[in-house]
Amino acid sequence: MKRQASWSLLLIMILLVTGCAGKRELNELALVMAVGIDKGEGENAFKVTAQIARPADARGQTGAPSGQTGEPIYTIVGQGESLFDAIRDLSSISSRNVFWAHNQVIVISEELAKEGISQVIDFFTRNPELRMRTWIVITPEEASTLVSTVTGLELIPGEAVNKLFRYGKISTVAPNTQILDVQAAYLSQSSQPIMARVTLKEVMISNKKPEKGPTIKQVDLAGAGVFKEDRLVGILKPEETRVLMLFTEGLQSGVVTTACKDKPERTIGVELRDQMFEVTPHLKDGQISFTAQLDAYAMVVEAGCPFTIDDQKQVAELEKAIEKELKKEIDTTVDKLQKEYKTDVIELGKVFQNEYPGYWNQISDNWAEVFPTVDIKAFVNVEITDSVLLWEETNSGKKENSAD
Amino acid sequence: MTSVEEKNTFFRDLQDNEELMTEILGGSVDLVKRRITFHEHKNVQALCYYTDGLADVTHIEQFISDLLYKGNLLLQHATLPTDNPLTLLKEHMLSSASFQVIKEVGQAVDGILSGVAVLILDGSNDVFLIQTKGWEKRGVDEPQTEQVVRGPRDGFTESIRTNTALVRRRIRDPKLRIEQMTVGKRSKTDVNIAYIGDIVKEGLVEEVKKRINDINIDAILESGYIEELIEDAPRSPFTTVQSTERPDKVASSLLEGRVAIFVDNTPFVLVVPSFFWQFLQASDDYYSRWMTGSFFRAIRYLAFVLSLTLTSIYVMLVSFHQEMIPTQLILTIASGREVVPFPVLLEALLMETAFELMREAGLRMPKPVGQAVSIVGSLVIGQAAVQAGIVSPFMVIIVALTGIASFAIPNYAASFSIRLIRFPLLIAAGMLGLLGFSAMFALLAIHALTLRSFGESYLAPATPFQPKDQKDSIIRFPWWKMQARPMGVTGDEKRVGDNQFPEPPNTDPYSDEAGNRDEDNQKGRDQSKRKKSRHIIKLKGDDEE
Repeated sequence: MKRQASWSLLLIMILLVTGCAGKRELNELALVMAVGIDKGEGENAFKVTAQIARPADARGQTGAPSGQTGEPIYTIVGQGESLFDAIRDLSSISSRNVFWAHNQVIVISEELAKEGISQVIDFFTRNPELRMRTWIVITPEEASTLVSTVTGLELIPGEAVNKLFRYGKISTVAPNTQILDVQAAYLSQSSQPIMARVTLKEVMISNKKPEKGPTIKQVDLAGAGVFKEDRLVGILKPEETRVLMLFTEGLQSGVVTTACKDKPERTIGVELRDQMFEVTPHLKDGQISFTAQLDAYAMVVEAGCPFTIDDQKQVAELEKAIEKELKKEIDTTVDKLQKEYKTDVIELGKVFQNEYPGYWNQISDNWAEVFPTVDIKAFVNVEITDSVLLWEETNSGKKENSAD
Repeated sequence: MTSVEEKNTFFRDLQDNEELMTEILGGSVDLVKRRITFHEHKNVQALCYYTDGLADVTHIEQFISDLLYKGNLLLQHATLPTDNPLTLLKEHMLSSASFQVIKEVGQAVDGILSGVAVLILDGSNDVFLIQTKGWEKRGVDEPQTEQVVRGPRDGFTESIRTNTALVRRRIRDPKLRIEQMTVGKRSKTDVNIAYIGDIVKEGLVEEVKKRINDINIDAILESGYIEELIEDAPRSPFTTVQSTERPDKVASSLLEGRVAIFVDNTPFVLVVPSFFWQFLQASDDYYSRWMTGSFFRAIRYLAFVLSLTLTSIYVMLVSFHQEMIPTQLILTIASGREVVPFPVLLEALLMETAFELMREAGLRMPKPVGQAVSIVGSLVIGQAAVQAGIVSPFMVIIVALTGIASFAIPNYAASFSIRLIRFPLLIAAGMLGLLGFSAMFALLAIHALTLRSFGESYLAPATPFQPKDQKDSIIRFPWWKMQARPMGVTGDEKRVGDNQFPEPPNTDPYSDEAGNRDEDNQKGRDQSKRKKSRHIIKLKGDDEE
C-alpha cells in the first residue's frame, strides 16, 4: 500500500517537476502573417519587417470586448547584421513572442535579390518554426512597404497574398513559388530558381472619393524573377510568365486573343483547355536539341466578329492564328531566357538529365554555357472544339432582315 | 441474533416456544403475534407470527379461517385419521399454495423477517412456514437510466422475484437456471444467480458463486456493494462489472453465455464478465435495422473518443502546438482568448468543474428546481462567463461538446469512468503537450489492457483480436450473418440457423415448367408454388452440408 502510494506520488511529481516546459500560451504569441526582407543600413545588414496579426481586430468580436483598434495588423521592423540578428531585434519591440509557424509569405526586395539570397534560403529552411510551404516572392518595392500595405478582401494582408496564389489558378501572370521549390532549384544541378514577383499598383478606388479614380495601392501579381544560382538576373513580364509556367508547372487554363481576320480592330478570344505539353530532348552527334510540343483544345469564349463553329474554314483559320500566336509567345520567351538571361529556369537540364543521364554527367558542370546554345523548337497544335453556348454567329437581327 | 439460538430447535411446549420467540424478536411493533385455539374437542393452541407489511394479511386470514372453521368441520367426520394433527394440517386443512415444515428456530426467525408466517402448534416441535409474502412494491416501470427508442419499455424493479420473472418471460428455457444465495449478516439479502446451463462458460458460475460466498458484510443495500466486492480491478477507474436496468439486456447477456446477478431491493442487475466495448452498445443497436444500428454505434464510438480526448487535444494544441492549428482557426481562437486571464489548462479545468457542478446540482435537486439550476447554470457559464472575459467562447464549445458526448454513452457507470480518466489526460496534456498526452494515453491503454473481467480480457474482442467476434463490434452485422455466439461458449455455439437471409420465393412463372401453370385453379397454383419454394430451400441446405 505504501509502495503504491509512493508510486502515484512520484507520477504526480513527474508532471509537476516539468513545470509546463515548452508551454506557450496562444495569447502570448505574436503570429507573423508575412515577412519582408530588405537590405539594411550598412554592409551585409538585413532589415526584417514582420506583419503580425492582431487577433482581436482580425476577427469580429468573438469573446469579451477587447479594446479593438480597428487595425488588424501590427507591422514592425528589425535590423541586424544577419537575418537571425534582425529577427532577434524584433523581440525587443514586440510585447509577445514572435511566432513564425503561421507565416504565409516571404517578400524579398529585388535590391537584395540581386546580391544573392543564399543566406535567406539557408535561414528559412534551417529554422524548424518556419514552414517550407510558404510563398516566396520578390518585389521591386521596398519589402517593408509591401508587407505593411493592407490589401485584398481578407482582413490580414498576409492571408490575402496567400489566397492570391492559392486560388489564383486562373491568372497566369506569376508562378506559384514556395520556399521548398526555390530551395530545390537552388540545390539542383540542372535547374535554376524562379520566384513570383509582386508589385504595388494603384488599382483600388476609394469609396469616399470615387471621382479620383484608383488611388489606393494593392498587391498585384507581376511576372516572375529569374535567378542564376542565388542572384536575380532578370524579370519576366506577366505575359511571358505563362510560357515559363508551361514548362515548370503546367497551365490550368489560358486565354489567347487574336485579331479578327476581316475586322482587325475587333478581337476574338479563345480559352485553352486540356493542354498537353511535352518537352523531348534529342542528342545527335554531341549536339543537344529540344522539341516542345503543345497540344491544346480550345473554346471560343468571346467573338468580336461573327463566328460560328459550324464553319470549318473559319475554325481552321482561327486555329492557325492562335497556333501562330502561341508559338511566337513561346519562342520569344525561350529566346529571352537563352540569349538574354542565360539561365535555365525552364527545367530543360532536368528533362535532358532524365533522358540521357550518362551524357549529362559529362556536360553537367558547364550546362550553364551549353544552355544558351541549344536549339529549342516549339510546335503548337490547337483544336477548337467548342463555342460554349452560342453556335450561331452573333449578328444584329435587323441587319439580317434587311439583307433578305 | 446470536448463532446459538439459530441452531436450536423448537420446544414441544408452546409456552416455552412463546418465551423463546419473545426473547428473540423483542418488542418490535411490526412483528405480530396471533394466538389461535382450534379443534373444539382437543382445544389445540397455536401461535402465529408474521411481520406486518411484509406478509399479505389476506393470506394470513385465509389460513387462520382454515384452521378455525374448516378444521372443526373436517375433524367432525370420523373417517379422517385424527391421531396426528400435523399430517391433518398438512394434507387436509391448509389451503396455502406452499409451506414448509421445519424445526430450527433460526430458520423460522429469518422466515418471519422475510414475510413468511410462522405457525407454532402446541405439543409439537415441528413448525409451519406458510408462504404469505406480499408487500407494497413499485410496479414495472420504464428504466430511468437506459432509455430506448425501439425496444421493450419494462425495467427491473426493487423486487427480486419480479426481476427474475421478467427475464424468465424472455427465455422460457428449462436450462435457464436461477440459483438462490443470501448475503449480508444482518440484511440477509437475497441474491440470485442466473445463467443458461448449456451455454455458460465452464467454471464461470462456480467462480461467481465463490466470490459471492466470500463476501462477509453486514448488509447489502444495493448491487453496487456486491459489484465492488467481487470485481477484478478494484483500484481501476474502469468498471469491470456491467450493471443494467433492462431485462432484455440481461436476457441477451445470458444468451451470450454470461452470468447475471440479481440482488433484492435494487433494479440494477449485474452481468459478468463484461467487456469495455459493451458499454458503448445500446439495446437499440439490435432492435433497429442493422444499418441504422451500426450508424448509431459509430456515433457512440465517436462520442467516446470526443468525450475522452477533445478537451485535452484542444488544450494541448492551444498551449503547445500552435503550428498544428490552421491559420484561420488559430486567429479565431486567439481573438476569443485575447482577454482571458488564465492559461488554457486552468480555463479548461475551471469549465470542466463548472460543468460537473451543474450536472451534479441538476441531478440532486428536486426535479422542478433542477431545471432552474440548469437554466441558470447554462446562462451563467455559457453567456456571462464569456462576456466577462473569464473563459473563451471556444472553451465553452469544447466543454459542452465533451459533456454532450459523455451523455451519449449509454451506460451510466462507463460514462463516469470515461469522465474520470479524462482528467489525468487533460492535466498531462496541459503540462507536457503532445508528449504528456501520448504518455498518459499509453499508460491508460496499458492499464486497460491488463484488466480482466472474470477471466476474460477487458478489451476483447479488439485485443486480443478475435476475428469471429468482430461481427458485433464496430458494425452490428445483420442477424442472418451473426450466427455464432461470442467469446467461446461451451456448447450450442450456433445462435442463428443457416439460410436465414430473407428472400421472396421464386415467383417468376416462366422459370417453371409451362405445364404447371393452371390459369383456372388459383389455389392449386399457389400450392404448387409453395411446394416448390420449400424444395429450393431444402436443396440449399443440402449444399451447405
